[in-house]
Amino acid sequence: MSVSNLLENWSQFRHFHPVDDKPHDPYKWAMSIDIDACSGCNACSVACYAENNIPVVGKERFQHGQQMHWMRIERYWPDHDFDFPEQGAEFLPMMCQQCEAAPCETVCPVGATNHTADGLNSQIYNRCIGSRYCSANCPFKVRYFNWYDYPTDETVWPAEMNRQLNPDVSVRGKGVMEKCTFCVQRLRAAEVTAKGEGRIVREGEVQTACQQACPTSAISFGNLVDPESRVHKQWQAQQVEMNVDEQEKDKEPGGSHLRGYRILEELRPYPSVMYLERVRESAI
Amino acid sequence: MIDSSSIKQLAGHPFDRRDFLKVLGWSGAAVALSGCGNTSIENGKETVVSYVEAADYVIPGVAVYYNSTCAQCDAGCNINGRVREGRVLKLEGNAASAINRGKMCGLGQAGVQHHYNPDRVREPLLRKGDKGETISWDKAYALIAEKLNGVSGEQVAFLSGAVSGHLKVLLGNYLESLGSKNLYVYEAVAPAVQRAANKKAYGTEMPRFNINKAKVVLSFGADFLGSWVSPVHFSQQYAQFRKGVDGQRGVLVQVESKMTLTGANADRWLVVRPGTEGILALGIINALGASGVTLSGDVAAAVQGYDKARVSNDTGVSVEHLDKLVALLKERTPSLVLAGSAAEGYAHGSQNAAAINLLNQVLGNVGKTIEASASVPFPQMIPAKGNTAALKTLNDDLAAGKYKVLFTYATNPVFTAPGSMKFKANLAKAGFKVAFAHYLDETALEADLVLPLDSALEDWGTQVPEYMAEGAQINIQQPLMEKLHANTQGMGDILLTLVKQREADKYKDFADYYGYLRGSLLTIKGALGSGGTDDDTFWDETLTSGIIKLAGSAEQLSGNASAAGLQLPAAAAADAQYSFHLIPSVTAYLRDGRHTNQPWLQESPDPLTTIVWDSWVEIHPKKAAELGIVEGDVLEVSSRTGSIRAQAYLFPGIHPDAISIPLGRGHEALGRYAKGYGVNPFQILDAVFDQETGELALHETRVKISKVGQRIIVVKDEGAAGGKPEQRRIALSKSTDQVKLSEEV
Repeated sequence: MSVSNLLENWSQFRHFHPVDDKPHDPYKWAMSIDIDACSGCNACSVACYAENNIPVVGKERFQHGQQMHWMRIERYWPDHDFDFPEQGAEFLPMMCQQCEAAPCETVCPVGATNHTADGLNSQIYNRCIGSRYCSANCPFKVRYFNWYDYPTDETVWPAEMNRQLNPDVSVRGKGVMEKCTFCVQRLRAAEVTAKGEGRIVREGEVQTACQQACPTSAISFGNLVDPESRVHKQWQAQQVEMNVDEQEKDKEPGGSHLRGYRILEELRPYPSVMYLERVRESAI
Repeated sequence: MIDSSSIKQLAGHPFDRRDFLKVLGWSGAAVALSGCGNTSIENGKETVVSYVEAADYVIPGVAVYYNSTCAQCDAGCNINGRVREGRVLKLEGNAASAINRGKMCGLGQAGVQHHYNPDRVREPLLRKGDKGETISWDKAYALIAEKLNGVSGEQVAFLSGAVSGHLKVLLGNYLESLGSKNLYVYEAVAPAVQRAANKKAYGTEMPRFNINKAKVVLSFGADFLGSWVSPVHFSQQYAQFRKGVDGQRGVLVQVESKMTLTGANADRWLVVRPGTEGILALGIINALGASGVTLSGDVAAAVQGYDKARVSNDTGVSVEHLDKLVALLKERTPSLVLAGSAAEGYAHGSQNAAAINLLNQVLGNVGKTIEASASVPFPQMIPAKGNTAALKTLNDDLAAGKYKVLFTYATNPVFTAPGSMKFKANLAKAGFKVAFAHYLDETALEADLVLPLDSALEDWGTQVPEYMAEGAQINIQQPLMEKLHANTQGMGDILLTLVKQREADKYKDFADYYGYLRGSLLTIKGALGSGGTDDDTFWDETLTSGIIKLAGSAEQLSGNASAAGLQLPAAAAADAQYSFHLIPSVTAYLRDGRHTNQPWLQESPDPLTTIVWDSWVEIHPKKAAELGIVEGDVLEVSSRTGSIRAQAYLFPGIHPDAISIPLGRGHEALGRYAKGYGVNPFQILDAVFDQETGELALHETRVKISKVGQRIIVVKDEGAAGGKPEQRRIALSKSTDQVKLSEEV
């Protein structure tokens, strides 16, 4: 593929899903997170460590920015000056947004990260050569690089501790990039079971680990193209469209009563995660 | 319990599963035999045919789920352990539980790291000078018998963390067989003052709080989303409360001197001068009276003089906020007022709690959002509770050299006792110290004999939660896998062996604790509502569900609306020498520090500061600027009792006259992930106690701070902007008048 070809036919290469030749049928996995319900407790993050064999890197490596938390809680204070945060803090669960036109995919020199038919941004560990271009190009900073060979590191999974590792998820070695997969191992198991029974995965049949743990049920997850799914209903009620970069609510002068939004939408990555704005009481 | 999809797979199988597995297994063995000339795998440790005679429901590649009970705190969440090929992999919530409804907090999920922890004690250890020498269990038991020989019951004491269920019964029986009444129950961060205040106000120590039925929750330092009482349960109630009734979202107002996780979720976070929570509560009652709410004579008299100007001056809460709060409480009913540890950690903590509880009475919340809780009809099984008052008594006795034999279990007082108690020095005066321990923690290191315990995922047990979510329930704890280490024992088995040393005849029918547990539950089968079921069915059903739900008897709330005896001191005067209040904060995941050796918890950022793996000193940015302190400056924090050093973190959610250091870190032992990380603020706590209950006033220690001239990098997750979104649309917010929640999905 020459560069001139790439530039001339850019729209062909830079397309987002669903497109006519690759429709999201029967699955498009998506999420919605109500940050008004989220209490910032970190239960999702720990669940992710447990499910996905994420190494605990330790204090020194954490200081170097080498932490591996696929799911993290970002804590924000208001932008304006204040003495005390009188309306509390803002918590935002952040993980791979499984973008439909993912900036990470286009820069991978070896195609280790690409899109699946069911709408996931996948990462193929044994194809990854560790260029880290994807991480550099990710606007959400949710890709994590294995700077060390954690499986052989005695501080990470010493004897006995390694027995907790989930056999459904590979343990990543040095030099590869990793990130949230929407718990793809659970999705695949559910998809295969459903296929064997000649149906599609039903709403509620599969949960991500973070969603399952969340004490306030702030996270919904499901098949966006299934009209019965809660995620579909939420996206529809919030009038958030997958394939636009400016939602209806943002066009309304004076603002709208809708809470749904996608982060950094203006960069046109078309994320698969919708957030619901936090709410604060006006009478107090 | 086997999950439904694998049952379906099995049901549809063309031939018998066992035969199928046998065929697979033998052919696998044949391959192994011919292939490498070795009949074993993994250095000859296991035979390749192991799955042929596998236990029921062990299917290679298929996970099975067993119900049990979380042992990481006392809330008693019901868990569902994922087990594959005989290994427990993950703890998930039991969806049938009224407490956690399938949900789990991070602390609970880290239970697997307690089980697989590389630093667990594996053998009984006997002190030989500075070292522990491995001995056999028989020798250990014989040694205990020998040490107890000729010792009167009064010279024996047992210090335990919170225990309930059959373990508590057996522990009581053992002490009785020794003729000892010296059971001390000590939980370092238990809500002891609250229990006493609730007993007075409502007639029960732990009523049921219906956050989900309240339109306004006014919480005085109760961190119910983080570490208070039953946080996973309250988190679900909170989610319902936020959705509200008819689209009217519940309003949370949090009053405290240091922002907790719950405070960070408040619609209005009101910072108060430390210790003035009760004054604010009385001020609100006074203002409610002035706005037309009927007050009884003695209440009106008690709040007289708490006018807005004075209350605002004392507490630092503006009159404007006070007015808005009073209007909100009056307009939206029912509400719910909660008194948490922050309001109770003072010498007048009980008075603060009484004032706050009185507010509930005035607002008419009792019977609506505060209801009687169901109780288990077996009083011998309800949790044994205790706090620092118990430890203080034990400490005084130890100092007097009263005890020849001391047992410790599930508590680490050498780490958690306030430094002013000098507990470690007094502990040395006990004759023979036996520690039942999972780790060599600070207390176990002082013991003469350390007996290694099974993890909660290997052991049998029953647990009765103190806070009952709906009906009463008894939780079942069962092994999720085989024991990891050959030479650990369950606490129940140990107590049974010990009690058999004294009264062999009485317990001869019970071969082990499992037998004791099963036998005991079968004898009360009728009372548990399963009188008609045969024994095996009852037992299988009990183990399958992991919960015994009981009809239970609801205690009556007394509804004591009197203000008799309520006497709040004036706001504390400034201390010229020790000018800061020290707030030792209880974090959701580390609590009193017993689980600090679980690496997931060390690396899980503190939600508010995002700091990991270390301790820090929270100080208000304005105060810090005044004192020339910037982030990372190492501060020496000195109280009248002692001093510790930690890095400064500039935190806006704290009163400028206070600093806060989290509890749980600063271990000198425990294990590789805990030892040497951070500092332990328990060490510098002054001996100030609540005047009514005698419990430790956790927030009464005054400190002074000074820079030591060293600056380090704070290891934290937040970015360089310090958590400011810098005009980007990231975490967005709206006010209630801008949304239509009733139209949402």
